[in-house]
Amino acid sequence: MFITDIRKEFYEVVANQRVALLVASDIDALCACKILQGLFHCDQVQYTLVPVTGWQDLSTAFLEHKEQFRYFVLINCGANVDLLETLQPDDDSVFFICDTHRPVDVVNVYNDSQIKLLIKQDDDLGVPPYDDIFRDEDDEEGGDSGNESDEGSEPSGKRRRFDEGAVERRIDRQRAKREWEARRREILFDYEQYEYHGTSAALMFFELAWVLTKDTKDMLWWAVIGLTDQWVHDKITHMKYVTDIATMQRHVSRHNHRNEDEENSLSIDCMRISFEYDLRLALYQHWSLYESICNSCYTSCNFKLWTLNGQKKLQEFLADMGLPLKQVKQKFNSMDMSIKENLRDVIEESSNKYGMKDIRIQTFGVHFGFKNRFLASDMVHATAALLESTEKDESASDNFIKALDSLSRSNLERLHSGIDLAKKKLMAIQQTVASCICTNLIVSQGPFLYCYLMEGTPDVKLFSKPMALTLLCKYLLKAFVHSTRNKRCKLLPLIMAAPKDVEKGSVIVVGIPPESETSDKKNFFGRAFEKAAESTSSRTLHDNFDTSIIELKTEDRSKFLDALITLLS
Amino acid sequence: MDPSEVEFLAEKETVKIIPNFSLDKIYLIGGDLGPFNPGLPVDVPVWLALNLKQRQKCRIVPPAWMDVEKLEEIRELERKEDTFAPVPSPYYMELTKLLLNYASDNIPKADEIRTLVKDIWDTRIAKLRLSADSFISQLEAHAKLDNLTLMEINTIRAFLLDSLNCMYKLRSNLQPGSSKGQFTDY
Repeated sequence: MFITDIRKEFYEVVANQRVALLVASDIDALCACKILQGLFHCDQVQYTLVPVTGWQDLSTAFLEHKEQFRYFVLINCGANVDLLETLQPDDDSVFFICDTHRPVDVVNVYNDSQIKLLIKQDDDLGVPPYDDIFRDEDDEEGGDSGNESDEGSEPSGKRRRFDEGAVERRIDRQRAKREWEARRREILFDYEQYEYHGTSAALMFFELAWVLTKDTKDMLWWAVIGLTDQWVHDKITHMKYVTDIATMQRHVSRHNHRNEDEENSLSIDCMRISFEYDLRLALYQHWSLYESICNSCYTSCNFKLWTLNGQKKLQEFLADMGLPLKQVKQKFNSMDMSIKENLRDVIEESSNKYGMKDIRIQTFGVHFGFKNRFLASDMVHATAALLESTEKDESASDNFIKALDSLSRSNLERLHSGIDLAKKKLMAIQQTVASCICTNLIVSQGPFLYCYLMEGTPDVKLFSKPMALTLLCKYLLKAFVHSTRNKRCKLLPLIMAAPKDVEKGSVIVVGIPPESETSDKKNFFGRAFEKAAESTSSRTLHDNFDTSIIELKTEDRSKFLDALITLLS
Repeated sequence: MDPSEVEFLAEKETVKIIPNFSLDKIYLIGGDLGPFNPGLPVDVPVWLALNLKQRQKCRIVPPAWMDVEKLEEIRELERKEDTFAPVPSPYYMELTKLLLNYASDNIPKADEIRTLVKDIWDTRIAKLRLSADSFISQLEAHAKLDNLTLMEINTIRAFLLDSLNCMYKLRSNLQPGSSKGQFTDY
């Protein structure tokens, strides 16, 4: 069931208990977890934090902890599958789920006792009404009252033998029941067909903090990072992003107003969050401007930097703005002040000439101490790189804890190491995109495009992780759409496969919806993958919380693809 | 003594806070605290104030001496005199550090205060060093210094005592045959 008053029905219930926090591995979940941890520290609530990477992890964690805990809080996991059936909990376990995955499973919505959803009810959910999908068994005996047959065969006035009347009524009931069931299947199919994302979990927990008046600037910053993560990884539509940014902007002005209205200004060490209409260049303040332009998806795709022509256009672009190459190629902080002052406006003007109308995006930046300035997207890239770092001897939970630490203001070295890793990751993505396009590795299979990364590809280890591979997939599709002349291919979705584990012989497969300006980011590959796997009995593992990311045995790749082609044509 | 021990002792000083919760009077071994009412100032020890501040349950009111004009006067006085001027609080250094680390958003002009306190500290430590140097070089038997705080004493204690011990050993080895001077390796 949906929770209406998050303070009374969630926080005050768990505040005196020991709670288990099961947190999924994405940045939004990390930010939400940080906010909740901050609140728990204020009220000295005992909790256990368990990072989970997939359904199997979730089940193991639940089994380990179900004896000691009654209350479980699930962050960014658990809403889109029938949780009670997957976990088989005891009757007194209560689950609080704050998940961005949609559609929310209908059993989770209509269960009144054990599952509480920390999701706003108007959040674009479209849950089918109760009566359309559930039917109490008593209605069966209710007999004639519920069965108005459309043919209008009214009970005839003539007195027939009672048995025949009853048999007729039973046949009518069975027919109505079959019709109801067919309609139910259709409704459920429509409801569960497309997978998409809702409001950020970090935002939900920030609102809880706000209601408790315990919201600090740190929590506000984490909420902004959670929202920006959804935008960077292309999980929400642009409209929703802008709406949520406006909500955050209200909170930011409230905080800024509260602290700056005395004539005595704040210490330089205090955190200042400001609204920025900043450039869509990844990490440009921590890199050189040139590198950032070459390695950001938006500019790289629009200039087509993998071609010679594209490189020339880039040089023209820089010349048009009057930026000398020497300045542009050195670290951003060392660029001339005169260039840095009007940089954003100058770039916007020139990029309009080159067809890039949206080079600026609304976002937030933070500023504390004398030299620490970060944009929200910088933090997202850094933390994502730390979360999915492929160093040896590091388990998933180590990476989780490191990424969680990097979000605190006191761990700046970790954040800077994350930024370095993110730079390497972005460069690797650009090089892979360039080589895939130049060697025509993307083939059209009919209803979708397909690309397979061979084992020897440089940096292919980076792409064995779901978030990195999804990012690569999205950039590749954008680049492909810009580079191909085939109009039909521009509207196709993309499936990408990369080797995940060489010893076990498995690949990770990701499917993303087609690229378009007004895309609603709804992904149908979850169901498609399930059906294809069933029909060919391929050995697949649907472990990830995003159903459009699966693991598959290398040998079953071709038959799986053939099944998908037949399914989707 | 460790500087952290001195800081621990400094945390017993009282400071005014404005809580946002309510609680009846609590009876602790060290004394009574409270009652706490939202919006009404109450005096509590610094350790409790910092704990409540970190749990977002109060707002700390800076002590009366933590003000830019007052500290500027004290700094000028310190620079003029050769002896030690009266100090704003016996634990001024530790309290400044603690309050500015955890509650700098409640203290106006925090950066200037930090600079001023550091200036005062530097002047006093310089005077202390000068005084210790002249004490040793003039082979005085005793000295009296007013208005020193525990943190300043603690800073110079180890060095002064060790150097006096060293001088004693050297001096006692100069006397022929008085005692078998044992040279220990440090």
